[in-house]
Amino acid sequence: MNSVRIEDAVKRFGSTRALDGVSLEASEGITGLLGPNGAGKTTLLKVLATVMSLDSGSIEIFGRDPSRHRHRLDIRRRLGYMPQEPGFHRSFTAFEFIDYVAILKEMTDRKARHAEVDRVIALTGLEKVAHKKIKALSGGMRRRVALSQALLGDPRLLILDEPTAGLDPEQRLRFREVMSRLGEERSILLSTHQTEDVAALCPRVIVMNHGKMLFEGTPKDLREVARGSVWFSEARAPEARLSWRTGEGVHRNIGTAPPGANLVDPSVEDGYLLLLGDEAFIEAAWRRSRQCAGRPWFTGRYR
Amino acid sequence: MSWHVEPEMLEAYAHTAIDDAHAYSIEAHLVSCGECRAQIATLGDQKELETLWTEINGAITVPTPGIIERGLLRLGVKDHVARLLAATPSLSVSWLGGLILALGFAVTAAHLSSRGFLMFVVLAPLLPLAGVAVAYGPRVDPTYEIGLAAPLSSFHLLLVRASAVLTTSGGLAFVASLALPQKDWAMVTWLIPSLGLTLASLALTSVISPLRAATGLAFVWVSGSALALYYAANTAATAEDLFGGIVQLVMVLVTVASVALLFGRRGSFERGVRH
Ligand SMILES: Nc1ncnc2c1ncn2[C@@H]1O[C@H](COP(=O)(O)OP(=O)(O)O)[C@@H](O)[C@H]1O
Ligand SMILES: [Mg+2]
Ligand SMILES: [Zn+2]
Repeated sequence: MNSVRIEDAVKRFGSTRALDGVSLEASEGITGLLGPNGAGKTTLLKVLATVMSLDSGSIEIFGRDPSRHRHRLDIRRRLGYMPQEPGFHRSFTAFEFIDYVAILKEMTDRKARHAEVDRVIALTGLEKVAHKKIKALSGGMRRRVALSQALLGDPRLLILDEPTAGLDPEQRLRFREVMSRLGEERSILLSTHQTEDVAALCPRVIVMNHGKMLFEGTPKDLREVARGSVWFSEARAPEARLSWRTGEGVHRNIGTAPPGANLVDPSVEDGYLLLLGDEAFIEAAWRRSRQCAGRPWFTGRYR
Repeated sequence: MSWHVEPEMLEAYAHTAIDDAHAYSIEAHLVSCGECRAQIATLGDQKELETLWTEINGAITVPTPGIIERGLLRLGVKDHVARLLAATPSLSVSWLGGLILALGFAVTAAHLSSRGFLMFVVLAPLLPLAGVAVAYGPRVDPTYEIGLAAPLSSFHLLLVRASAVLTTSGGLAFVASLALPQKDWAMVTWLIPSLGLTLASLALTSVISPLRAATGLAFVWVSGSALALYYAANTAATAEDLFGGIVQLVMVLVTVASVALLFGRRGSFERGVRH
């Protein structure tokens, strides 16, 4: 059975259509939502997490309708949600905070609740900082605290909004490890604007932009979108929409390849860029220019 | 966690066949390592483990909760309720300090002039109103969204926090009013308006944002009082005259209507209140 089914979802904010006719189904496994800022990922995840309602369209989670009180409660009992910008009660310790959310998840028995809090703390590797105040933790640690609370009660549906934002490479690896273990029997929907995340983690990818779904398939399918459109050349190719010098000194070009071009295997990012078009190319070019200036990690972390 | 207790050591520990020095270092590790705790749970005599377990659990949760939470626990509040309340901004030490300060000023003013006494009556209901406004909602509760997505009823959470805020600020205002120069029933003229304004703000929160509801009501209350004071300026009107009979009656009606509206619209809180 599908855990999630959305049909023709529309959500407006003033004149912006944050969701403009989205239809999707998801069952067990990890589904990655990929898209630039403002694509509508957060809006979609909020709707699925039952904290926002649609203007029109229909939605079913575990066969229940979140606009009905009883059904919504059923859904919430099986849901773990990590918002994009999770807030914290900063004077709580990590343990106290997760314990607080466990109470919101109806775990009233103290002993059982503390055991569950310990479990998710071990799962995300937070043992050493569990009794530190949240205000003393680094950004990456806080994201792990936010992830821990979503895992409480071992929910069947996990909704994670940009869970890897602000994680350093090592934390990112650890996150992927935890997720791939969990994704086997649960439905996980996560959003990201990092193509590496979905390539490494999600058997299923959905690309969104301007509130619409542009693509649905495997990371391999997404890569194939760019087959025949990526090539190497000695100099910057005039046909390329995006072109940059690689470490080996050749130029890697994306766009409409000229006849006889030295085509190469595309990456997931290539497919993603081609799908999104000019906007994304501009952003990617900007990102690469920052990277060339020797500050590769700056853009995401300090935004 | 880079190292763990070796299986043999864990086994020995579980059967209490180990010297104190080693036991001590293992316990220090167990306090911070969930994996080893999970491991040890599968070993040894269950009864003995139970005892060890409570000790270790004690050590884990000992990192003392904040002062407010400890106070609540001492008053006999259940631990999960105490935790829900400890996360309320208007039950923090600094907020309570602010309340005491404000009430202190009002009492002092009351001793200086009879107009000062009226100030106390106007001010006191604003305190729980402000307290409730910052106790719940997307702007003031950093975990509002997580809470909304969780199964615990948001309406229940709102009521728990609002009652705690009403009790603390009402209690403090009552203590303060004992220090007022007037010693008749006029000292508690603030009580029913406090209830009326606070409940009205809760009821309105089912329609508009909590902060808007509170500021709107505060505005009505303050400007209404200012008008009354203005027209009474040249008379010998006392607090009883200004805030007696009719105001009390109106506020009783407001309270009743608000409670009805609040419970009638309780479902809206589970869908989320306005930003
Ligand atoms: N609460 C809101 N009020 C007004 N506009 C909003 C609100 N939330 C989102 N939007 C708009 O909706 C669009 C989609 O936003 P969002 O879902 O946050 O995208 P993403 O998460 O993909 O970056 C954006 O144009 C954003 O400005
Ligand atoms: Mg977003
Ligand atoms: Zn260990």
